[in-house]
Amino acid sequence: MAADDVPRWPDRPPGRIRVRVRARGRPPGRKVLIGAGLVAYSWIAAGTVPFTRNALLAVLLPGAVVAALAYGRPARRIPSPERIDVAGFSYWAVCIIALVEWEAAAFRDNSLWWHPSLTALIDPMLDVRPVKAAGILVWLLSGWALVRR
Amino acid sequence: MVTRVLTIAGFAAIILALFVLEFLGRRKGSRIPTLGEWLGYVMRPRAGRLLILLGWLWLGWHYFSR
Repeated sequence: MAADDVPRWPDRPPGRIRVRVRARGRPPGRKVLIGAGLVAYSWIAAGTVPFTRNALLAVLLPGAVVAALAYGRPARRIPSPERIDVAGFSYWAVCIIALVEWEAAAFRDNSLWWHPSLTALIDPMLDVRPVKAAGILVWLLSGWALVRR
Repeated sequence: MVTRVLTIAGFAAIILALFVLEFLGRRKGSRIPTLGEWLGYVMRPRAGRLLILLGWLWLGWHYFSR
């Protein structure tokens, strides 16, 4: 049809569309590599015995990396808001204080079976290595999201 | 038994409320900030970044290292 002769984006040079298509078709090798590395790290870290030096290092190492990134430059992917609605934020504050209070109340009672803390509820799940590895992976990704929002 | 169930229900209710707040915050024109928005706001100054990241590090240490 005659419409085929009309350029869809007359203000753009013809080569640009081709470049974009090629870029989209590029295999995301770097991301896959980083993802595989994080999964492997999580699996290895999940295999460490609690209360040992290796278990501590498995947490401190990513902590140091994230801290260095955060100290060096602030998050830039999504600009941080200059102000937030105090009333709106208060809902979050109430929930977080309630969570801390609920946890502290259980902790004060020595986290007995009839009044367990959140930690006492989660710890048995973390005895299963795949679950612990998944937890560590989520923790690593959340740390990355905090410094690279 | 009832006390244990009540305790667990309390945790579940608070965590559910946090998800509801995130959902409400994502609605157009909402006054409730999303988790990302208020964390971003708190993390604007370097001291805020340090505080939040120390909390993140503590969570990792508490659940995965001990």
